[in-house]
Amino acid sequence: MEISTRTSNDVHIVAIAGSMDSTTSPEAQKALDGVLAAASKVALDFTQLDYISSAGLRVLLGAAKTLRASGGSLRLFGLNPSVREVFEISGFSTILAVYPTEAEAVGDG
Amino acid sequence: MRHGFELCVGVDPDGVGKANAAFAGFAEAHAIPAGVRRSMNVALDELLANELSHGNAGRQAGSLTVGMELDQERVVLTLTSEGPPFDPLRRAAPDTTLPVDKRPVGGLGLHLVRELMDEVRYERRNGQNVLVLVKLLAGGQQNDQVEAG
Repeated sequence: MEISTRTSNDVHIVAIAGSMDSTTSPEAQKALDGVLAAASKVALDFTQLDYISSAGLRVLLGAAKTLRASGGSLRLFGLNPSVREVFEISGFSTILAVYPTEAEAVGDG
Repeated sequence: MRHGFELCVGVDPDGVGKANAAFAGFAEAHAIPAGVRRSMNVALDELLANELSHGNAGRQAGSLTVGMELDQERVVLTLTSEGPPFDPLRRAAPDTTLPVDKRPVGGLGLHLVRELMDEVRYERRNGQNVLVLVKLLAGGQQNDQVEAG
């Protein structure tokens, strides 16, 4: 797993490449904790995310809860069909804000 | 043509990583469609993480085995472990309709496995717990087409 961060329109974008599973999720958790400490608008770039298991979903749920409590927002974009399928099965597609593209995720709409 | 591999992960704390690496090489060598491979990656992670964190009390090293088999139609993952009879699939499905702040953390893994696989079954065989997961290759090809479009 590789994680990189950038900003666009005062949104902190975190790109996660590879997998979010039981092996890699602690690292993703640590990286997201660092971003969440300093940012309220966060977007996750999943363009290069290969697959996600429940360990990865737990990290996302934790981040969503933290941002919701602090009045921030969490948006996701670039999900491949397999990641989207996991989101639909788990119900995460209805509780997290998923956008098709980065432009839509960092826009005001 | 039939291909496959078998890997003993025992009580190795990095058993999940080793199984992932073995499966990644196998999937690449046999050009398993991305959608099928990813579903298998998720199932493998859920079951091994579950086994290695909860199911290994008193287990002897080498008694957890991951088997993978591929033919023209399907990929079959077999997870064999020693220990008292235990069927993880009997655990109830979580409520996925709850809002984000009402959700208990976790409990989703086996639900994902059941939904992502085409067939999942538990058997007690020769004093061992055997989980068999089947994913048809046809579903994965469809998944790839969606991605290309």
